[in-house]
Amino acid sequence: MIQLTNVSKIYPNGARALVDVNLKIGKGNFVFLVGPSGAGKSTLIKLLYREETPTRGQVQINSKNLVRMKDREVPYLRRNIGVIFQDFKLLPNKTVFENVAFALEVIGVAKREVRNRTLATLELVGLKAKETAYPHELSGGEQQRVCVARAIINNPALLVADEPTGNLDPDTAWDIMELLYDINKRGTTIVMATHARAIVNKMQKRVIAIENGRVARDEEKGGYGYDA
Amino acid sequence: MLNSSGYIFRETINSMKRNPWLSLASVVTVMVSLVILGYSIFFLANAANMAKSFESELEIGAFVQIEYTPEEVQDLKSQIEQMPGVESVTLVTKEQALEEFGRTIGGSQGNIVSDVGGTNPFPDKLTVKATDPQNVKALASSLESNPGLYKVRYGQDFVDQLLKFTQWLRWIGFGVVAAFGIAAVVLISINVKMNVFSRRREIQIMKLVGASNSFIRWPFLIEGLALGLVGGTFAAVIVGLGYNWITVYVQSTLTFLPVVQNEVLFRQVSIGLLLGGMVMGALGSLFSLQKFLRA
Ligand SMILES: Nc1ncnc2c1ncn2[C@@H]1O[C@H](COP(=O)(O)OP(=O)(O)O)[C@@H](O)[C@H]1O
Ligand SMILES: [Mg+2]
Repeated sequence: MIQLTNVSKIYPNGARALVDVNLKIGKGNFVFLVGPSGAGKSTLIKLLYREETPTRGQVQINSKNLVRMKDREVPYLRRNIGVIFQDFKLLPNKTVFENVAFALEVIGVAKREVRNRTLATLELVGLKAKETAYPHELSGGEQQRVCVARAIINNPALLVADEPTGNLDPDTAWDIMELLYDINKRGTTIVMATHARAIVNKMQKRVIAIENGRVARDEEKGGYGYDA
Repeated sequence: MLNSSGYIFRETINSMKRNPWLSLASVVTVMVSLVILGYSIFFLANAANMAKSFESELEIGAFVQIEYTPEEVQDLKSQIEQMPGVESVTLVTKEQALEEFGRTIGGSQGNIVSDVGGTNPFPDKLTVKATDPQNVKALASSLESNPGLYKVRYGQDFVDQLLKFTQWLRWIGFGVVAAFGIAAVVLISINVKMNVFSRRREIQIMKLVGASNSFIRWPFLIEGLALGLVGGTFAAVIVGLGYNWITVYVQSTLTFLPVVQNEVLFRQVSIGLLLGGMVMGALGSLFSLQKFLRA
């Protein structure tokens, strides 16, 4: 489903974020990206939803070439990719319902359908009761659930997550991981960058370690692998 | 797009509420530029109309030397009647002129003479009618060299001056309208830019979840258009009412002035002002969106 071929990314300031990366990720996979800060994990994730394009090499998702893709095609790519972040990125003056519905509204889905799908998705992430709450009235874990709901409401084939549990306490982090696990079981491919050692070790999923922009390790059912 | 119209409308209203003073400033500058444009157009239309009506004048006004006796005036009159290209000559004596003046200001004759200093200030005037408009200029210059006449007035002479003046006015009007127009576009673009900035989080998320660029741009484009259109509407109303008022005033006081009252021109100018407002709005939006919402 995802294929990176000889991908290098050098930022305009000269930072070499990725160096000659080759990767294949199959449909329905759950993949952890680990590695020290500044290794290039976030950059790799940004290449997947075409926030960035590589300096060299090719990025393909579902046999679509993201490098040759025209800017105006990007929105349609993103409707099939969910993205979640460490800092949630919720709109503070919109309710939980509105934040999730927003993702459908802005791609022109009919009002009635927006309502039905939003309620169904909120149910799925366990936030039906908080529909009318504002983000500041929610715990960190609940806020991240809203983000997950917003990311999956379009039934994307791919969900990318950049340190989604980075701001959460361990128990809450596990709740989110269970949610992602369920979403993955329903067929969504998940690529998640993380520093959460315990989670990576326990889940026994594929682990790709990035160091200095290169793939340093790639194991099925791997562990976090760094000390301390 | 139909599903989005509600969203776009809401966003447009919200963004106007966000910067009410800047919105007001934008609307007012659009309005000022278009009001000046509107009045300039009406003024030029009137000047052209006036020029045309004077151009087709066959009559030349010739003022007789003030010390001429009535007999000398009669001699001069028959002398001019003999000139080639002259159709007819009518005499308006100084007494008739004074009487006419008295009628227009509404007093008795005796009063006026004393009012203006005890002597009749009007000269005798010969109205010379040419046979052909082509001859008017030549005829006028030969009358000018007649020692019995001290001043010769005719239509084309006035027309030349009027045209020279409107030429100037055209450039000045164009300059002022352009200056205000540019200011309006700049203000609208600042307005839109500020709204883009205050909604940058929303825009970021919209892009993230796959909203198309046109969907993201629409509310901003419409906001600019709305600002321009509101300014244009005010301008059309002000120019329309104002011109109506001026027309009524001129027709009741300066009855000799031909005033243009053309329904078609009226409608064209109104529509033109509305369109002008929208163009300024669209330009303002496009300038700011081009920079902010690429990719
Ligand atoms: N937008 C950017 N502009 C310039 N340099 C960047 C940018 N984003 C990341 N980098 C640099 O690229 C390298 C990789 O960063 P990043 O992908 O964020 O790593 P990680 O997510 O693994 O911490 C770092 O050296 C970082 O400073
Ligand atoms: Mg990172």
